Amino acid sequence: MIELFSTVYEVFMRTYPGFLRATVVTLQLTAIGVILGTVIGLVFALMKISGSKILQGIANLYITVIRGTPLIVQIMFLYFGIVEIFTMNNFWAGAIALGVHNGAYIAEIFRGAIQGVDPGQREASMSLGMNRKQTMQRIVFPQALRRSIPPLGNQFIITLKDSSLVYIIGVSEIFSLANREAAQSFQPFESYLVVAMYYLVLVMIFTYLLRLYENKLDVDKA
Amino acid sequence: MIIGENIHKSFGDLEVLKGVDLHVKPQEVVVLVGVSGSGKSTLLRCFNFLEMINSGKITIDGHTIDPKKENLPQIRAEVGMVFQHFNLFPHKTVLENVIEAPITVKKMKKEEAKKLGMNLLRKVGLEEKADVYPSKLSGGQKQRVAIARSLAMEPKVMLFDEPTSALDPELVGEVLQVMKQLAEEGMTMVVVTHEMKFAKEVADRVIMIDEGRIIESADPKTFFENPQNERTKQFIQLVE
Repeated sequence: MIELFSTVYEVFMRTYPGFLRATVVTLQLTAIGVILGTVIGLVFALMKISGSKILQGIANLYITVIRGTPLIVQIMFLYFGIVEIFTMNNFWAGAIALGVHNGAYIAEIFRGAIQGVDPGQREASMSLGMNRKQTMQRIVFPQALRRSIPPLGNQFIITLKDSSLVYIIGVSEIFSLANREAAQSFQPFESYLVVAMYYLVLVMIFTYLLRLYENKLDVDKA
Repeated sequence: MIIGENIHKSFGDLEVLKGVDLHVKPQEVVVLVGVSGSGKSTLLRCFNFLEMINSGKITIDGHTIDPKKENLPQIRAEVGMVFQHFNLFPHKTVLENVIEAPITVKKMKKEEAKKLGMNLLRKVGLEEKADVYPSKLSGGQKQRVAIARSLAMEPKVMLFDEPTSALDPELVGEVLQVMKQLAEEGMTMVVVTHEMKFAKEVADRVIMIDEGRIIESADPKTFFENPQNERTKQFIQLVE
């Protein structure tokens, strides 16, 4: 047991400069995946509640295809299918794949949150003379946003972990580094244990920040 | 003030209003009663165009409304509505609830709106709650805020849809008190309620709706002491 601990410690000390650099890449991938996913998700959620059959159809098609295929396939497809056309690098191919993938899930989160706002809120707003746009902007969306924060946070954590899949197209994030380390040092057990620890710590920090934010929202306005 | 003529309203195959005629005069307080499902709430919602009538005519303040052509938000702003479940905006403080529509719809200056809002909150006795969120209020307080919010648009008529039905019994009085005060100030009101005491004391006219039709319409004394329709007699026995 002590021996295991010391070899893990040894691997950790030897690899942490590389891992810290790779952590930055992982966080960048996650940030782009989340921001892009949120923008895409918002657009498709609005399309779904728009009332236009065509826009709804497009949004449904997007969500069905993205949710119905594995992320790793989407990453490969984007990299080999699009990179050659636009000469994107592998980092951007991976980040965009994460964003596109997330967009489908976040669209459903937003749609659910918007439709989950009590219809009485809309009625009260309209009865005061507010038009549809004012009602959406001032009454429905702020409440929907609040409702969507817990599931969004969950989705962000999934994105952080899913970013490991872009190792397949050679992006130097932390999982690909662990792979390399495992192969080169013949210490796969220790290497994967160390990378698992990095993910765990990142997720815990993320969860903590999220809870702080949720509490802040709840304190006065639950 | 509000004239409804031959109003028909269906939800799918279910005909809820089967030709209702109702003429509410300025400053009149009309109480609508009836068993649940009789169509009284639907009628109220039609007057605010939260429901669109299938046929018939609605005239508000001498102006016949064609829902297809009109600017509905503008018309709704003139017809205040108070809901059974208050429907306060939970993400806004009490004062923000009251001044939201004057600022957004009437483009009132914020300072001016705040002054108006505080005056209205004083009127319903909730001045000191201006900066708290609705979740901190009792049901009776919420409903009084909802009334103030509606008054902030200076409506020509106020519609009340079972305003005390969701309240604990001990909180009903404070809401009815505010409504009574409004009536005394000359507000035109149409009230759907099960509070017969309020109907007797405050209403100028009590109307019984049954299966989508008006079957009795009289001053409160006549309505309760000498009803003509069998269904009305049964109803009065049931609620008294």
